Amino acid sequence: MSVEHTRRDLLKLAGYGAGAAALTPMLSQLAPHAAGADAKKFPRRVVFVVQSNGMTPGHLVPSGVARPKNGRPGNDRLEEAALKGRTLHKAIDALAPFQDRLALIQGLSGRIAVSDHSANHGCLGACPANKGPMLQTIDSAMSDALPGVFPHVALGMPDGAGNVMNYRLSAAGPGKAVPIVCSPALAFKSLFGSVSDGAGRAAFDQKTNLLAFMADDVTRARGGLAGEERRKFDQYLEAFEALHGRQKELLAKADDLKKHAPKLGERAASPVSSIILESQFEIAAAALVAGVTNCVTLASGGGGQSFGKFPAFNIPDLHGIGHGHAYGRPSSEECFVELRQFHVKLIAGLAKKLEGVKEGDGTVLDNTLIVYLSDSGDGHHPSRYEWPVVLLGNLGGTLKTTGRHLQFPHDQSKNHRTLASLYCTLLHAAGKPRDSFGVNDPAITQCPQSGVIPELLA
Amino acid sequence: MFTRVGLAVMAVAASAASAGAADTSADTTLATAFLKSHCLKCHHAEKPAGSVRLDDLADFAKDGGRWLAARDQVRDGLMPPKMERRPADGDARAFVAWVTLQSGAPAAPLPNQGNLIPHELLFGKPAAAGPPAGRVWRLSPEAYMGFAADLYRGKIAAGVVQPFTLTPERGIKDFAGLYAIDEPSAEVLLRNAEAIVTAQTAHEVKDGKVVGKNDAVREFLGLMDPAVAPTTPQLEAAVHAQYRMAIGRPATPDESDRLLRLYDLCLKTGDRPGSARTMLQAVLLRTDAMFRRELGHGGGRRILTPPEAALALSLALGNRRDPWLTAAAAKGELATREQIAAGVRRLLDDPKADKPRLLKFFREYFEYAQAANVFKDKPTAFAHEPQQYVADTDRLVLHVLAADRDVLRELLTTDKSFVNYGTAKNKQTRLDEPKPAVVTPPRRDGKTGVLTPIPSVEAAYGFKQWEPRQPMTLPPGTRLGVLMQPSWLVAWSTNFDTDPVRRGRWVRERLLGGAVPDLPIGVVAQVPNDPHRTYRDRLAVTRAELCWKCHRQMDDLGLPFENFDHYGRFRAAEDVVDAAATEKNIDKKGNPLGAVHKQVSLVTTGAVAASGDAGLDGPVKDPREFVKKLAASARVRQVFIRHVFRFYMGRNETLADAKALQDADREYVGSGGSFKALLVSLLTSESFLYRTGPPGPKEMK
Repeated sequence: MSVEHTRRDLLKLAGYGAGAAALTPMLSQLAPHAAGADAKKFPRRVVFVVQSNGMTPGHLVPSGVARPKNGRPGNDRLEEAALKGRTLHKAIDALAPFQDRLALIQGLSGRIAVSDHSANHGCLGACPANKGPMLQTIDSAMSDALPGVFPHVALGMPDGAGNVMNYRLSAAGPGKAVPIVCSPALAFKSLFGSVSDGAGRAAFDQKTNLLAFMADDVTRARGGLAGEERRKFDQYLEAFEALHGRQKELLAKADDLKKHAPKLGERAASPVSSIILESQFEIAAAALVAGVTNCVTLASGGGGQSFGKFPAFNIPDLHGIGHGHAYGRPSSEECFVELRQFHVKLIAGLAKKLEGVKEGDGTVLDNTLIVYLSDSGDGHHPSRYEWPVVLLGNLGGTLKTTGRHLQFPHDQSKNHRTLASLYCTLLHAAGKPRDSFGVNDPAITQCPQSGVIPELLA
Repeated sequence: MFTRVGLAVMAVAASAASAGAADTSADTTLATAFLKSHCLKCHHAEKPAGSVRLDDLADFAKDGGRWLAARDQVRDGLMPPKMERRPADGDARAFVAWVTLQSGAPAAPLPNQGNLIPHELLFGKPAAAGPPAGRVWRLSPEAYMGFAADLYRGKIAAGVVQPFTLTPERGIKDFAGLYAIDEPSAEVLLRNAEAIVTAQTAHEVKDGKVVGKNDAVREFLGLMDPAVAPTTPQLEAAVHAQYRMAIGRPATPDESDRLLRLYDLCLKTGDRPGSARTMLQAVLLRTDAMFRRELGHGGGRRILTPPEAALALSLALGNRRDPWLTAAAAKGELATREQIAAGVRRLLDDPKADKPRLLKFFREYFEYAQAANVFKDKPTAFAHEPQQYVADTDRLVLHVLAADRDVLRELLTTDKSFVNYGTAKNKQTRLDEPKPAVVTPPRRDGKTGVLTPIPSVEAAYGFKQWEPRQPMTLPPGTRLGVLMQPSWLVAWSTNFDTDPVRRGRWVRERLLGGAVPDLPIGVVAQVPNDPHRTYRDRLAVTRAELCWKCHRQMDDLGLPFENFDHYGRFRAAEDVVDAAATEKNIDKKGNPLGAVHKQVSLVTTGAVAASGDAGLDGPVKDPREFVKKLAASARVRQVFIRHVFRFYMGRNETLADAKALQDADREYVGSGGSFKALLVSLLTSESFLYRTGPPGPKEMK
């Protein structure tokens, strides 16, 4: 929404600052490791799945692993349990086929993003929750590391107020919220519509001509403007230039797009939340397989009090279940479990699709990482002393997700780690390392808040 | 140790005076004395508190960062610390104002930061004036839909969706500096343009002839026959028609030529109708369709051009181009301030002219419409209908605006309210007649089947019976004005409780013009969940030194509204859990049977402190006395005018806007509190109508 920095500014900065931006020695050493010797052989991909209303830590606890009935684990050292031979909690048992590709991560804190209900950009940004898009979030940062025709595809579901975009979870930089497209119809048209909607080459060419014309038109209009006013038109110009540039790349991938375009039919316009999410997951899978993007964010509600509604499941108000409403079930926990099961099935379905596509000697899933968490941390009214995260896949062998349940030490321990460190780890794994991420939690003084979590790197 | 500060400050004063700033040596002396009296005891060279030295401050040009840091600490009440002598409120204000003046008082970008310009600099000094720089302002979401409707005979074409989003922050949202158009939004605009032009060119072929369907645009139909090449005049006529609908003027010859070239280019690989549609879509995507341009003509100080003024006024009050203003601009009749003032008055006085942004201002200012977004457990013993509360307050605001007398005072203190107000058409007279908007059915006991009547919406206002004669006079001694409407009280409540802190913050910011710092990072602000204590009692946690630095600006302003529960219902006592009785409430086996409640006496007192209006400061006994005091304050009135300014200008005020603000205040007072008079003053002010700086792009003149 904001126009603080346009791509032109960033390019200028990159030009001026290329020397200054040289990697620190430590980062330089780690970068080749993270990139891997043969990592560029196949594209690597990442999918962030953000579900509203919190993720109950208990849902990630497999059989045979103890967790206090009330309160949080008090371990001072990392406690690890192999998932092999254990049963997953029923809320996530749809992930059983991928049990040996999982890391169920517990105990990372995210107190810097303390807020009620949703951490907003703080979830993916490891930053304060209510200060808007104050920095680049991890999904956007990963898209920089894993570029594609569409650098970052962000899909979600509407908030019920008629908004087609959700600007509250993802950001490309300070003041630059990334819009999450909440309409499957719109998302489909953006990704696949240009070459597979039957309109034919003529319509495609006309759109190309129109985009070129508009880029020229805005260029003329911006002449004579200065400062912030010019910046507004610059952003509009960049939009047309980017869309125009993409036309060529889409044309080159036309066969793949036609081959993989999902058959949504009437579902594309369905107002039912569960169907919208199913459609968005299908679109995401197709976009990854067709090779038009390597970075996807999938948001089920999220941001502010936009939890989403699932009346089709007889859970009309997700806020309600956070306040004990059970909607005819024995307890509200049943509602939380049902919703978790639905989302996990979608994630498992996505993984299965990626696993079904050959890539070299392996599959697309071998080069993919799915990160599943909630924008509301560990609950509807979260403490954020722990922020449960599920990792599925190893991003081309760079992460150690071999079927592990990891309970990191509590927030007062010198061995404690934060969500920010996980994000640093992901960026190292993706080959674009960062030594720090987000905003430090001032209440944490006894443990590092920067650097990677070495136990997660392969 | 102090000498350097004294010298530095004097140097700053000299430069400010030479620049013509509204500063006096008296102010400078006061600021210097303030620093010496309240800061240098701790922030000196020997052992600087917090490693911050202030004894070596140079002038603002060199040491601006430290001056501003010191100012912010004083302004936010964080310094001097509690154990030190408090500065007099007036001295602290003068210091803040003086430092702000040295900084040039740049406008803060976000709507909720407008109060960072001290009130005294805008209303306490002789008015400064100076037009702002030229700017462009992206259409608001509502204005975009108005734009879309103008293209299709007042209807929204199928497939058009909202491309624009506003900040989710509370308060005024549409500031010109905040929004551009990013790639995903541009993509939506492209699809919308396609949908609109498809609707505009809808047709069928009958007997070999193209015949328009629905509300197709006549000028476009001649381009839709794939077998017949349109003539150049036909193409030009279509371009002009689209320009008039989208931009409010015909295309220039250059613009028309470029579009015809686009048509020819598309024709190389496509058919004629498709090429024509592409050409027509391009008009809808132009910058001058998507942005309000407020650049004026030429350089230096200049007035908006008539087309710019027509659109600016149209979108100030409504969401679509006003046809009369557009026509007047085309005839060059909006070229002077007097002509524009006449246009504003005509628009305001025309009952048929749609002016949704009048109500929208009050919705964003009071924020009562948020009531519908505050989730609460649905009560079983009474109705809770927040959307109806909002509708009732909307109606009240419009009622007060229609009378247009003492508008702010009325809104704050009226004893009238619309109550569960709806209308139905009388089939015989065909007139709209009042009826209850919400009818709450009785509740049926699941076991006995007995029906129990449920108090409906009117009960939230304190009435047992709904009356058709509206607005109703509220029960005496209960509630007055918007701040005691159920909608406002619910909007400023939480899921389970009232919210005196944020209510107080609202009063501090929206009525007193204060600025409360955001919650410090890492602080978990939680009121103890002790159901056996009153909320006022539980809120005592904020009196801890660390919290009270900020909470002293809010809590006492919000606590009088504890006269109402979190559903917005009047109460004379507060319901709490009786801990002792609950402990004894067990069955024979010792199992708890549930909480036992009791009523405890309610305290509704509050206090105003450091308001900037000495007549306002002091204790208040209840919310009714409180709002009456607020309504009588000149400062409150002026702060209200500052917010009106922000909403209609789409930006925060600067020192250069002081004249516009003071003129508006004078007009408002002189007219007996007419909101129309206030708007006419603001919409014809230098701040609204004039621009300065370098000339805009040639094409935009």
